[in-house]
Amino acid sequence: MRQRRVVTALAIPLVLAFVAASCGSDSSTETGTDTTTEENTETETTDGGPAVTAAPEEVQTSVVEETETAVYGGTVTIGLESEATGLRPWEDSCSSPCYHIMRSIYDPLMEQIGDGGYGPFLAESLSSNDDFTVWTMTLRPDVTFHNGTALTAQTIADMFPLQQAGAAGSSIISASNLTGVAALDELTVEYTLSKPTVAFPATLAGAPVGFPFDPAAAAADSAGYSTNPIGTGPFVMVSRDIDNETVVERNPDYWFTDVDGNQLPFLDSISFRPIPDEGTRLDALISGTTNAAQSLRQGTIRDAREASGIELIEFQGNVTGGGMYNTDIAPYDDVRVRSGLSRMNDQERVIEALGGTGISLPTTQFFSADSVWWTQEAADAYQTFDFEAAKALLQEYIDDPARSDGKAPGEKIDVELSCPPDPTLIAAMQVIEQVWTGSELVNVSLTQFDQATHINNAVSDTHKAHCWRWGGEGDPSAPVNPFVAPAVDSVANFTNFDDPEMLAWSLEASATDDFELRKELYGKIMIRINELALTWYSGGTAVMIAHAPGIKGFNTWTLPDGTLGTGIAPEAQARWFQVFITE
Amino acid sequence: MAKRIAFILLRLFATLFAVTFLTFLMVALLPGDPVDTILGTGPRAPGIEEQIRDDLNLDDPFFVRYVSWLGNAVTGDLGTSYITDQPVADTIQSRLPVTAQIAFMSIFLAVAIAIPVGVLGAYKQGKWPDTVSSAGVQVGLSIPNFVFGIFLIWLFAVQLNWLPASNWNRFSDGIVDNLKTSILPAVSLALAQMALFSRLVRSDMMATLRENYILSARAKGLSDSYILFRHALRPSSLSLMTIVGISFGALLGGTVIIESLFAVPGLGFSLIAAINGRDILVIQGITVFIAAMFVIINTIVDLLYAVLDPRIRRK
Repeated sequence: MRQRRVVTALAIPLVLAFVAASCGSDSSTETGTDTTTEENTETETTDGGPAVTAAPEEVQTSVVEETETAVYGGTVTIGLESEATGLRPWEDSCSSPCYHIMRSIYDPLMEQIGDGGYGPFLAESLSSNDDFTVWTMTLRPDVTFHNGTALTAQTIADMFPLQQAGAAGSSIISASNLTGVAALDELTVEYTLSKPTVAFPATLAGAPVGFPFDPAAAAADSAGYSTNPIGTGPFVMVSRDIDNETVVERNPDYWFTDVDGNQLPFLDSISFRPIPDEGTRLDALISGTTNAAQSLRQGTIRDAREASGIELIEFQGNVTGGGMYNTDIAPYDDVRVRSGLSRMNDQERVIEALGGTGISLPTTQFFSADSVWWTQEAADAYQTFDFEAAKALLQEYIDDPARSDGKAPGEKIDVELSCPPDPTLIAAMQVIEQVWTGSELVNVSLTQFDQATHINNAVSDTHKAHCWRWGGEGDPSAPVNPFVAPAVDSVANFTNFDDPEMLAWSLEASATDDFELRKELYGKIMIRINELALTWYSGGTAVMIAHAPGIKGFNTWTLPDGTLGTGIAPEAQARWFQVFITE
Repeated sequence: MAKRIAFILLRLFATLFAVTFLTFLMVALLPGDPVDTILGTGPRAPGIEEQIRDDLNLDDPFFVRYVSWLGNAVTGDLGTSYITDQPVADTIQSRLPVTAQIAFMSIFLAVAIAIPVGVLGAYKQGKWPDTVSSAGVQVGLSIPNFVFGIFLIWLFAVQLNWLPASNWNRFSDGIVDNLKTSILPAVSLALAQMALFSRLVRSDMMATLRENYILSARAKGLSDSYILFRHALRPSSLSLMTIVGISFGALLGGTVIIESLFAVPGLGFSLIAAINGRDILVIQGITVFIAAMFVIINTIVDLLYAVLDPRIRRK
C-alpha cells in the first residue's frame, strides 16, 4: 500500500463577519478578500473543509494545513440530486450532478485554481497573442484515452466539428468567439477567436470544449458514447443503468502522478446514484446506504449539520439568490419603482424564510464577499432595506401624472412577483409580499410556475418581478457579459435594460488580462446594476458534499503542478482523482 | 356475449384515441416555447433554435403533428428523446418492469392483508376486532403514501438500519437484494390500497353473510371459517376485483412520488425528469402508455366480469 502526505487546506473561507459588515452592518470597515486572521487559525475543520457548526459571527481561516494519509482502494457511493442526461461533452448539457460523473471519466484541459484563475491540467501550457484572439496550447505528452488511443493535437482539432454541431458545444463555441482549432504539431493546438477573449482559459475548463473525447469513436456512435463514454480521466465506465446507478472503476493507465509521486486515482471504484429527494438522499447517507451525498439546498445543509456520523464540506461561492425586474414592462421601467421595491427586500427575513439562517449570507452583487471579484463600492451601492425611503420612492411614482403604467395619480402600483413552487421560495416570496403590501402603496399578485416554465418566462421576456439566481464560479465574464449585452442579441439580458456604458465596460474587461482593471470594470458594472436596481438579492447559495468520516480529499485536490484547486467549487462538484478512504 | 365483447373493444379503442389526443393537446398547451426550455438561459449558437424547431416539427400545425405522431406511435415508434437521444419506447421498456414490480407487490401486499382484515371485520361486526381494524383503515386512508414512505425510511433505514433508504437493485443482482430495495416503496403504496380493499371486502362480505345460502350453510353445521372463505368470499370479491384492476392501472402512473422518494428508476421517475426538462416526446410517450395500460386493464376487468359472474354472461 502506498501512502502520501496530503496538505489539507481550507481553500474556501467563510468570511462571515466580513460579509455582515458589507451588508449594512456598521461593525467593520475591513475591505478586500484576504481576511485570514491568526487568532482564528484554531477553527475546527474537517478534512480541511470549513467548520460546519460555525456561528455566523465567527471569522474562519482561509488556509489550515493538516496531514492525512492517503490510502489506495475502496468504493464511494454518492447520492446525486439528479441523473446526468448524457455523458457526451460536446452534446449534453451538464449541471452539477452530471459533472460529478463526467469528471470521473474526462479530464479538463484547464482547471480553475484557488485564486480564481486557471491552471493547466491536460494542457501543459496555454498562452495567447497580445489581443487574446489566438491561443496556443501545448498538450501533456503520453496521455491516452481509455481505449488506448493517444491524445494529440489532432484529436483536439478533430473534436471541433463535433463540438460545433453539438447542442452543448455549439452554444459555448459561439459564446467564447471560437472560430477555429488547428493542430500545429503533435502536441500543439492553436485556437482562433473572432474577438478578444481573455477568459478563454475558462472555456477550456468546462465540458463542451474543454473535456477531450475520442472523436473517431464519437462520430461512429454518438448515442452509444453517452452510455459508454471514453475519456482520459481517472476512472473507466463499467456500467450505466440510467436513473439508477452508474459505476466507474479505476483507470489503471491513468497519466496523473501527483507531486508526491503517487499514481492516481486512489479509489477502486465509484457508484453514482441519482436520489432526487433531498431528505432521502441525506437519510441514505446517514443510514449507510451511500457514503457521500451532494446538495445545493440550504434546508438539506441545515439538516445535515444536525445529523451525527457524517462530515460536511460546505461552500458558498459566487452564486446568489434574489430576483430581477423586466424593464420592458411598466411599472418596472421606472427606477423609482424598482428601487422602492428593492429597498423593501428585508434580506435577513428572506434568508430566514429560505431556511438559510446561519448558512446563507446576505449578498450585494453577483460575487460573494470572499471572491476576488467582490468590491466594497458595489456593496455600498446596493439598496439595502429601508422601508421609509422605499415608500417615499413609490409614493413619488404614484403621484407622478406621467407615471409609466398609465394609471391615474394616486392609484396603487400593481406588481406581479413570480417564483418557482419550491416551499422555501414560496415562503420567501410571501415575506417580500408582506412588506410590499404593508406599504399600502402596492397591489401584489403572486404567481408560481414550474422551474422550466419559470425559466421560459424569463427567456421569452414575459416575466415581471421574477425570482432568479445570479453569478457563477468561473470567470466573471460568463455571468456578467451576457447580462449587459444588448437585449436583442442576448437571452441572458433578462432585465432588458440596455446600457452602452456597461456594455463597453464588459467588452473592455474581456480584452485585458490586467486583473485590477478587470476587477474595477466588473465592479463598476455591479455598482451600476445596484444603482439602477435592476436586480435584488437575498443570500448566497450554499452547497455541500456530505460524506462518511473516512472519506477524504474532496477539498484538497491539486493540479498536476501541485497548485491547490478549488475544493468542491463550483456547485459541490467532486474531483475524484485524489479522493481516498482512510477507514 | 360476442356483441358485448365487441362493444368493450370498440370502447377501448375510442378511449385510447381520446387519451392520445388529450395527452398531445395538454403537452402542446404547456406554457412557454419548448425550444426556449430546451436551450435554457445559456448562449445560443446561430441557427440552433430553428434546428430544434425543425427536429421537433414545432412549426407544423397541431393536427399535422398529432397525426404524424399517432401514425408512428401505432407502429411502436414513440420518437426519440431530444434530451437523452434515447428512443422513448426503449425508455418505457426499461422502466416498465420496475414500476410494474412495485405496483404488483403493493397490490399483492394490500390484497393479502385486506382480505383477512375485511373478512374479520364483517364476521366480528361491531365488536373490538372490527373497531380496531376500522380504525386502522381510517389511518391507512388518511396518511399520504409519501408521508408513510418517509416514516418507513426513518424507521427501517435510519433507525434500525435493516433496509436501504433508497437505490434499486435489479433482479439480476439477486432476488433478496431486489426485495431489499423494493419492499419499502411497495409497502408505502400498499397502505392506502390495503385500507381501501379491506373496507370494500368488509362491506361486501357483510351483505353476503346476510344471504339465504349462507344461513343454510350455517344450518348445515359448516364451520365459520369454511363458510367465510369457501362460500362467502368469492361472491364478495367482485367489487374487490374491479378495484384491484383499477388500482393496478392507477399505480402504474401513480408511483411517481414514491419512485422519486425512493429513487426507484421506474416510469414515474422518468416522467418527472422529462417534465422538468420539457422532453416533449418522453412526456407524451410515457403518459399515453400509462393511460393506455389503465384503459386496457379496465377492459380486461370488464371482460373478466363476464367470466366470473354468470348473470352478466347470461345478459
